[in-house]
Amino acid sequence: MWREKLRIRKSNQIQALHPSTKFLIVCLFSACSLILGSIKMNGYALLIIPWFLIVPLLCAASGIFMKFCKAFAKVLLVATMIFLTQSFLVRSDVVAWSGGVLKIYEKGLQTGIFISFTILNIAGIFTWMFQTTRNKEISRALEDSGMHHKAAYVFMSTLQMIQVMGQNSKTIMNAQRARGVETEGGIFVRAKAFFPSLVPLILGSIIGAEERALTLESKGFDVNGKKTHMFELEPSGYEKLAASIAVAATAAVLIGRILVWVL
Amino acid sequence: MGGKTEKSHSIKSDFSMLAILIIPIAVAVNFVGGQLASLLKLPMYLDCIGTIFTAMLCGPWVGALAGGLTNVVTGIANPISFAFIPVNIATGLVAGFLARANMFSNWWKWLVSMVILAASSIIVTAPIVILVFGGITGSGPSMVVAGALAAGANIMTAFLSGDGIFTVIDRTVSYLLGYLVIGVIPSKTLIKFGCGENYIKKASVKKSA
Repeated sequence: MWREKLRIRKSNQIQALHPSTKFLIVCLFSACSLILGSIKMNGYALLIIPWFLIVPLLCAASGIFMKFCKAFAKVLLVATMIFLTQSFLVRSDVVAWSGGVLKIYEKGLQTGIFISFTILNIAGIFTWMFQTTRNKEISRALEDSGMHHKAAYVFMSTLQMIQVMGQNSKTIMNAQRARGVETEGGIFVRAKAFFPSLVPLILGSIIGAEERALTLESKGFDVNGKKTHMFELEPSGYEKLAASIAVAATAAVLIGRILVWVL
Repeated sequence: MGGKTEKSHSIKSDFSMLAILIIPIAVAVNFVGGQLASLLKLPMYLDCIGTIFTAMLCGPWVGALAGGLTNVVTGIANPISFAFIPVNIATGLVAGFLARANMFSNWWKWLVSMVILAASSIIVTAPIVILVFGGITGSGPSMVVAGALAAGANIMTAFLSGDGIFTVIDRTVSYLLGYLVIGVIPSKTLIKFGCGENYIKKASVKKSA
């Protein structure tokens, strides 16, 4: 009965794609972005700008647009930083635009566009994959693709451990604060607070790991046999369609690149 | 057991049951350390404490895996850290080999180790930051880089002056934390780790003296 509860059901067909298909799409999309980036118009890699529109559209179609925006804000900030510093600070002979004190040089603008949009493209499609896929699905797909069960366990356990230790660190910080460790003030005061918060955290986790090792060994984790799974991955049925669309698009981009080259 | 017993180090024997369980902890410590550093508004990343600590206990390969996995996992939330996977792997490897050579045992060896540790991560970081991101990653130290660039410095010097100093401090603090933790782990637990023996001897000498 409760095995039924573990199953993940998704109403959106794009979200429900098998993780390996999603990964194929991610790889092909990134490759396309790099290929398009190598086509220069007057030295500007303009084609990767419209290419980026695919990412938000795909996320909207997958029904995760809001989640995507939240996760993508950080990447957007970095890309903007890179774009601005590149275009304003890298100097060359040709001035592309000037307004008062500020000057944008052609070379800087070119590299700025190329680097920032390549990052947006590749990071964006990865964000899409991770926002549409649960961690449980990823680790199961890794194991299905031939990864050792110990490695898959490490991956899975890592994701859980981050949450657990994040909570524990808050508890310890509060406890230390209650004991009088100062967490606000000058830089040395704050730096001193760093040690009493982290040392108990790490130590506690190690002692816990020792106990967990005994538990896992007693449950036959070390046995090299066929393992049973609580959680099964179910393909949505649209995997072939999605993969062929991705491959066709990549082929089109590749042919276009070769045509530009030849002509 | 008389004299020195040479331990054989195969990659497979490095990944003991306990080592496998330490890897998730190391990744979580990297994660929490980074969070805590930004919570306390420290001008450092401190995101490789777990890597260094694991490498000190379990050797280079476990350390490298913990480091690599950290960036894979943080990459789930922020794909930019995928680009820095080699940095964390290098940190784990170097720290592990230093620990295996017992390079943390006295102060001058320790000093040399810190320099090697910081240098190795700068050597790996520099090409990534410059080639992939054009020198700026949007972090605290990269403001220094941007400033130096604006003053007309070469991108390489700008990067070294910005990130170099921070990396040395960062690695030293990370190591100190690992050292403090190892100092309080009981010997019965330490002995289960690949490189744990190195730290036990020191403790027993201290007690008898």
